[in-house]
Formats: sequence, structure tokens, C-alpha cells
Amino acid sequence: MGNRIETEVVVIGGGATGAGVFRDLTLRGIKAILVEQRDLTYGTSSRYHGLLHSGARYAVNDKEAAKESYEENLILKETIPGSIERTGGFFVKLPQDDDEYVTKWVKACNEIGIPIEEISLESALREEPYLNKKAQAIYRVPDAAIDGFTMIIDLVADAVRRGNKVLTYHQVEDLLMRENHVVGVKVKNVYTGEIIEIYANIVVNATGSWAARVAEFAEIKINMINNRGMLAVFNQRFNKQVINRLRKPSDADIFVPAHNVTIFGTTGINVDQPDDFSLNYEELQMMLEDGSNLIPNLKQMRIIRAFAGVRPLYQENKTSEAGGRNVSRGMALLDHSARDGIEGFVTIVGGKLTTFRYMAEKTGDLVAGKIGNYKSSTTRFEVVPHRHAKEFFKEINMAPATKNKLFHWAGTRAKDLEKKMKDEEILKTVVCECEQVTLGEIEASLPNGKFNLGDIRRRTRLGMGPCQGTFCHHRAASLIVQRGLATAEEAEEAVIQAIEERQKGMQIINEGETAKQLDLMRAIYYVSLGMGKEK
Amino acid sequence: MLKLIESPFDRCLKCNACVVSCPVSNYSLDFGGPKHLGPELKRLIENQDLLDDPRVELCAICGNCDISCPEQVHVTDLIVQAKAIHSELSGTKFRDKLLSNPELIGKITSNLAPITNIAMKAKPIRKAIEKVMGIHSERQFPKYEFNNFNRRYKKKTANSERKVAYFVGCYATYNAPEIGDAFVEVMAYNNIEVAKPDQHCCGIPMLANGQFEQAKKNAKFNVQSLLKYVSEGYDIVATCSSCTLALKKEYVSVLGIDGAEELAKHVYDSSEYLRMLDEEGVLNKNLSPLNDNAGYYAPCHMKAQGIGNPAMDILELIPGYEIKDLAAGCCGQCGTFGFKEENFTLSLDIGKSMHDAVEELQPEYTVTECGMCKNQINQMTDQVVKHPIEVLAESYKKSK
Ligand SMILES: Cc1cc2nc3c(=O)[nH]c(=O)nc-3n(C[C@H](O)[C@H](O)[C@H](O)COP(=O)(O)OP(=O)(O)OC[C@H]3O[C@@H](n4cnc5c(N)ncnc54)[C@H](O)[C@@H]3O)c2cc1C
Ligand code: SF4
Ligand code: SF4
Repeated sequence: MGNRIETEVVVIGGGATGAGVFRDLTLRGIKAILVEQRDLTYGTSSRYHGLLHSGARYAVNDKEAAKESYEENLILKETIPGSIERTGGFFVKLPQDDDEYVTKWVKACNEIGIPIEEISLESALREEPYLNKKAQAIYRVPDAAIDGFTMIIDLVADAVRRGNKVLTYHQVEDLLMRENHVVGVKVKNVYTGEIIEIYANIVVNATGSWAARVAEFAEIKINMINNRGMLAVFNQRFNKQVINRLRKPSDADIFVPAHNVTIFGTTGINVDQPDDFSLNYEELQMMLEDGSNLIPNLKQMRIIRAFAGVRPLYQENKTSEAGGRNVSRGMALLDHSARDGIEGFVTIVGGKLTTFRYMAEKTGDLVAGKIGNYKSSTTRFEVVPHRHAKEFFKEINMAPATKNKLFHWAGTRAKDLEKKMKDEEILKTVVCECEQVTLGEIEASLPNGKFNLGDIRRRTRLGMGPCQGTFCHHRAASLIVQRGLATAEEAEEAVIQAIEERQKGMQIINEGETAKQLDLMRAIYYVSLGMGKEK
Repeated sequence: MLKLIESPFDRCLKCNACVVSCPVSNYSLDFGGPKHLGPELKRLIENQDLLDDPRVELCAICGNCDISCPEQVHVTDLIVQAKAIHSELSGTKFRDKLLSNPELIGKITSNLAPITNIAMKAKPIRKAIEKVMGIHSERQFPKYEFNNFNRRYKKKTANSERKVAYFVGCYATYNAPEIGDAFVEVMAYNNIEVAKPDQHCCGIPMLANGQFEQAKKNAKFNVQSLLKYVSEGYDIVATCSSCTLALKKEYVSVLGIDGAEELAKHVYDSSEYLRMLDEEGVLNKNLSPLNDNAGYYAPCHMKAQGIGNPAMDILELIPGYEIKDLAAGCCGQCGTFGFKEENFTLSLDIGKSMHDAVEELQPEYTVTECGMCKNQINQMTDQVVKHPIEVLAESYKKSK
């Protein structure tokens, strides 16, 4: 028999939706445990575009989704300031794009109340010089950039600070059933194989594209379409704000600035597996071809990697949806007691990252009602501790760029980190130069458990820059070993795993500097350091 | 608002070749190094807040990083931009304004020469200069000539078949007019008349000190003035390696001056020009033997032009003349860099490889094109320093 834990609610899934539900319940004073099979943000919530929608993209086709997006856009800007950059955005119509759509779009935005403003080509080009000079109409919208990594880490940290618990690298293997009641989950520590049974009054399935699999444990059928989308990361941030194509939503429409890079996408292809993150060269080329209509120089610019994520698209049952309360199209909160006669089990799936808080609030309402907690959700007002730390690190002698990273990253860790950096010179060492990550940041965000460079990357941006970890992975690993925080064997395994993962995203580019960068990476690790083998 | 010219930085592979070859990085941990202050910093501010990294002051724009980069990143162009941002955001010290303007210093001091030269040698005055201006009191200063080249040479046109418009540069104008004299003589031995166009400081010291706008103004003036000569069939020749580099490269890539690209096609370093005459078979080879044993010190800005070693190629034509390459790294003076109080020790540290090479080779004297390198060689060794054109002039003169 393994360990046994009791709690009020188990939330499965450490993506935006699960983290949102977890925090929503925590703020209502409910005891909860969040379980994630890998690291936080392992799923779609980091394999996505990073756009905090203004709603304008959906204005014509789905007014309700547009309205929800716009409302959430305003709420999140206030409540999660540390993960959002208020960049603003453009919608740009090219000569080949349908005029009639533009008329409909303007009308729809006005009806919904999304503030749009037409601006002249001249001033648009001043702000975004890479734009196609043949653009026929340009509108300003309140889009923003949102960092899925920091947001989810911060949501969960806030809940943990308030006394709740998170288990990462714990996979739900089964639901614990007593007749038609779900009474908990059986989870396995993926590193040690250890099994834990967690008993709870309610289990929330917030596993995105894995949701059908998890529901299967209770013999419940959910219809999902897994839709894979590809994204390309450019070497640098060539746009100040989000740039959207003003046409009927389709592939290769959007450029989002994300810290020091621009992320461009996307595509949509249905796949079988929820974790089909495969990359396709032709798909990427087609995307670039289309994207260069908006940004004519696109193909001359260096791409440092590509990646893919899977959209969890919920499909309504053709037959009657007895208990399935549709929050809105594509966003489903399923009360399985009404829908399938299974008590103690709720699924929340679909939607967008932009609307995660709204989905979490609705889920929280349902769950709280079931366990007799009548507090209402406060996530609409309660600010997640933000990331700014301008008042710290003043007396610490560091490169301005390194400091600037800390100013925007350190947040609640700032005071402690500042003190440690004063005491220990070595913590100021810049380990990842591309993204200016210091050893201090790495140590401050080292999660418990096994040493894993991916976990560090998601928390600090280590290895996310142009060299993709060519230089920082072994540097980080050897410093961590030197500091006694991991063994040499652990470190070597982590390095091999990390560079294999990075190579997948680089290989597909297979051109220009990125091909050379890949050669350099392979030469350093496989030849000079003699670690692992080229695959 | 700063208007900066685009220079591609996305080619950088982070390989560190530039860092290894940077003389300042090799001696100072306080310097961010070419990779960080060049392509890395540029990427981190692209479409985001500007960052002011005062350490760019330490970069001497010697150009070693540019030569060593396997990806042809124009590191110095990017650093010059960072310097411009730095001076825009933190303002420029009075000292740096002055140092960045050798033409102004030249005009003022050569009016006072030789008083200034004596004054510069007197300790108490040097101390005062260190205090007020932040220039190290043990730093040697080039001498200033009352009878500067502008006073000596006023010819604005040439009538020979092959015509040269001479870009004199501040150093030969104010500090070493004998180089200008030698150049005119050598050209005369080759039946080439020399015109001296209207010109201002090439702008390199301004770029080094973040005076972007002033550099641009000077560059525009020079491009306009020199292009007129180009259109009349003149070749543009300079005796200073930094000026040559500015005319060939910086005006085009950093400053993006209209017409600079056209001008660059007609610019030659003086030895490079003579080597070309030789290749065309028209060089006057009536050279008398000189039984000297000299060492050649290649300035960084000469190396950065990527034209090999024309000074040695030419001097080797003199019968009996022995010249060996000192093959040393940066001298550490680096234009205005070594004058600054805070850089003095570092400057001498960097210059050590040059010093050691001289000690080892023990030449009778050292030949170099750059007046600033000469200043450092004088500071660190007891060598006499000559410009290649002076040696050549001597050999021609003896043949008469
Ligand atoms: C290419 C692309 C671009 C997108 N761009 C945007 C955008 O710009 N803006 C926007 O608002 N939305 C965007 N979206 C949509 C958005 O990313 C998703 O709707 C959102 O991230 C879904 O979050 P989630 O938490 O529901 O799912 P996920 O983030 O996938 O989280 C589910 C988690 O459950 C875990 N899990 C699964 N099974 C188990 C198990 N058995 N035990 C324990 N844990 C388990 C997974 O590991 C995963 O971490 C995009 C989507 C894609 C694919
Ligand atoms: S120009 Fe010279 S001093 Fe400046 S960074 Fe390059 S190599 Fe170093
Ligand atoms: S040498 Fe060139 S490619 Fe290498 S780090 Fe320096 S700038 Fe980058």
C-alpha cells in the first residue's frame, strides 16, 4: 500500500485552466491539491502563442467568445500584471484581403465594445517598420502579450503560499471510485514509481487535450478534437506590439512579441494523441510563405526554433447534452453527475488561455456549491503578486542587462535574492547569456525533486535564446554540481535530455545560422564533452 | 531621438571568438566584452526599453572583434550604437567631448605650441589636468606643432595626370605635419600632385566617445567634399589608418552617409596606394639603399581594413632595408581610450604584448601608420617611431 492523502478537492492538470481552478478554490478557502504529470505548464499552456486576446479576432465569427476575451483581457491586465506586457496590437488588412470582412469586423467590434482605432499607414510604419507598405487599413486594438510560464508558476505559488499543495511529476493513473462516486485519484511519481492515493470530495479534470483520457477512468466519454498548431520563434523581437492579419481567422496570421523574441504562427492540423508535438517542415514553409505577405522580410530573418502545441477542442455530443452546461462555444464545464450519473467529478476543458480565469471561476462556483462552500470567487480582483522588482539590486554590481532581467523577473523573490547575491559573489554569474539568467535565479527557482534543466528553463528562460543552450546547459549543470545541489550523474542525464529536446526545435529550421548553431551545439556536447550520442 | 543604422546581429552564434580576441576583455573583468556589448545587448533592447551600459566606454573600437568573428557580425558598429545610447542617456563628460574632438584640440593647442608642449611635460600642470579633465598625469601626450600642416600646405587642386586628394587627418595636421610633408614628397617622386581638400576630423574619436551626431556631421562634410574630387578623377589617399577605416567602412556601415559607398571605392591607405602603383608597374623604384633594421607594428585599424600588410610590401622594395613584423596585439592606447585616467593602467596592461615584442626584436626603430600607436610605443619603450611614408621619403631623397 502506498501513501494516502486526504483533501477537499483534487485538481488534475498544471496548465492555465488547472492552475486557475486551483487558485480560485484556494481563495475561497477550500483545501485543494494540484496534480500534474510533468512540470507545471508542460501542456498547451506553454506551447501556445502568448497572445492575450482583445477579442477582436473572434468578433465576426463568435461574438460571445469575443466578449469574454475582451472582458478577461481587462481583468487579467489588472490582476496578473507580472506576466502581461501591455503591448497593444494592430490588425492589418492587405490588398488581397476581403473588404467586406473588414466592414463586418469593424461593425462587430463596435457592437461588442472592443475599442478599435484606425491609424494611418505612415504612423503604423513608424511603430512597426517591418510591416508591408502596401497595407490598406490598420486598426489599433488592446491586445497584449502574456507569458504562460510565469503566469502559471505565479498562480500556483500564490495558492501554495496560502497553504495548498502541488504535486508535479505525478501522473494520475486512475480515478478512485466507490460505486458511481469518484472519491479520489491514484497518482504515480514518475521518477520513483511511488504510488499515492489522494482522497477528495471532488476531482476536477482540467487536463486539456488529455481530458478524454482522464474521463475514461470513470468510463465517461468526452468528444475532443486534438488540433496541433505550429509556431516559429524568431531570433529577436522585431515588432513592438502584436500584429494580426485582418481577415477571416486562418493560419499564419499573428506575430506576438514575447520578451526578447517574436513568436509567429500558427497552423491547425487534427492529430490523434494529446501530446503529438511533432513538427513538419512543409507546414513551417507554408506558414512563412503566407506570413511574408504581412512582413515581407520574414524569410530573411533568423528563426531560432519551432514548436507545437495541441488545442483541446471540445465537441458537443450530437445527442442530448443533458448535464453538459456549455459555458460558451468551445468551452465546456461538464458536471458528470448530471451528464453521466457519476458523482464527485467535474471536467473543464476547451476555451483559450485568455479566458482561463473565467473558466476557473465558473468551475469554482460549481465545485464550491457541491461541497457547501458559499464564498464567491475573488480572482476578479485579487492581484497575483507581480514580478517587478525595480527597487531592489541597486547596490549590486551587475551588467545593466542582467539587472534589467531581474527587475522584470524577481518579484517576490527579489529581497531574498538580493541578500544572497550580496553574500555570495558566485550567484551573480550570468549562466545563460542570451536571456541574462544568473545562477541566483536558477537556485531561487530550483523546484524540489530531480534536477531537470527543462524545469529551470520554464522558470528562468535559461536556454531560450539564440544559442538554445549551446553554452548555458553545461555551465548550469556544472555550477549546480559544484554547489552540491545535484550529483554529477543527475547533471549529465539532465544535460543530455535538455539538448535533445532543444535540438528537435532547431533541426526543423535546418538553415542559415540555426543550422550552424546546431552543428556547434552537437560539436560541443557530443564531440568535445563526449556526452550522449547524436541521434 | 537617436537614429541608428541597422546592422545585422542575428548572425551571432555566441561562439566567443570576438571575446577572446578583444584586448580589453583580455585584461579587464570590468568590461562586458564585444559579444555582450555588441550583438547580445542589441538584441535585448530591440523594440524594448533602451539600456545604458556605461562599460561601453572601455571599448577602444580597435576592430579586433570584427576581424575575428566567423559570422561577419559588425560588432564595432553595434558597440558604437551602444556608445551613442550611453552618451545620450548619461550625458557625455566634458573630457570625452574634448577628446572626441582632436580637431578642436589641435586648433587650440597648435596656436599655443610650443607652450603647450612644454606645459604638457611639466608635472604640476599634468596633475591639474588629471584633476580637471580625468587624463592620467603619467600619460604622454603627442606634441602639437605651431606650424601645423594646414599652415604649411594649402594647395587645393592638382594638375598631374594621376591626381591625389590627400585626407590628412588630425594627427598629421596638428601633431606630425612631417608625415604630410613626406607624403607630398613621395607623391612628387611619382609625378603625382597632391591636393588638400577641405576636411574635418574623420569622426572615429567621436564614435569612440559616443558623439554620434557630431561624427555624422563630420562624415557628411567629408563625403561631400571628397566626392567632388572623386568626380574630377582624383584618388583619395590617407596616411592615418583610422581615417582610412572611417572613409572605407564606418561612413558606410555605422553612419550610413549618402554617397559613402561610392566614396569608399576610391579610398586608399598611402602604402596600399603605392603598392597598387607598383602592381601597375608605374611606381618610381629609384630608391637608395637604407641599411636599417626596423620593426613594423600593425595598428588594429590597419588590420581591420583586411588589405594585408602594404607598408611592409612597400618598404621591402628599398634595397638593404630589413623590416620584421612585430606581430603583436593591440597597443592599448586605442585612440582616446588610453588618455583617460581610469583606463591608464589597463591601457598599459594591454600594451604589454607590444612592449614585449619590441624588447624581443630590438629593432633600431619602429614603423607604424598610427599616431596613437606611436604615442603608446613612446610611452612604453624608448623606440623612435616613424611612419612608413617617412622612411620611403628618406630613401627617395638619398637617390637624388
Ligand atoms: C498553437 C496554439 C496557439 C495558441 N495560442 C493562444 C493564444 O495566443 N492565446 C490564447 O488565449 N490561447 C491560445 N491557445 C489556446 C490555449 O493555449 C489553450 O486553450 C490553453 O493553454 C489550454 O490550457 P489547459 O490548462 O486547459 O491545458 P494544458 O495547458 O494542456 O494543461 C493540461 C495539463 O494536464 C496535464 N495532464 C494531462 N494528463 C494528466 C494526468 N493523467 N495526470 C496529471 N496531469 C495530467 C498535462 O501534462 C498538462 O500540463 C493556443 C493553442 C495552441 C495549440
Ligand atoms: S573594438 Fe576592440 S576593444 Fe572594442 S570590443 Fe572590439 S575588440 Fe574589444
Ligand atoms: S565572434 Fe561573432 S558570432 Fe562569435 S560571439 Fe562574437 S559576434 Fe557572435
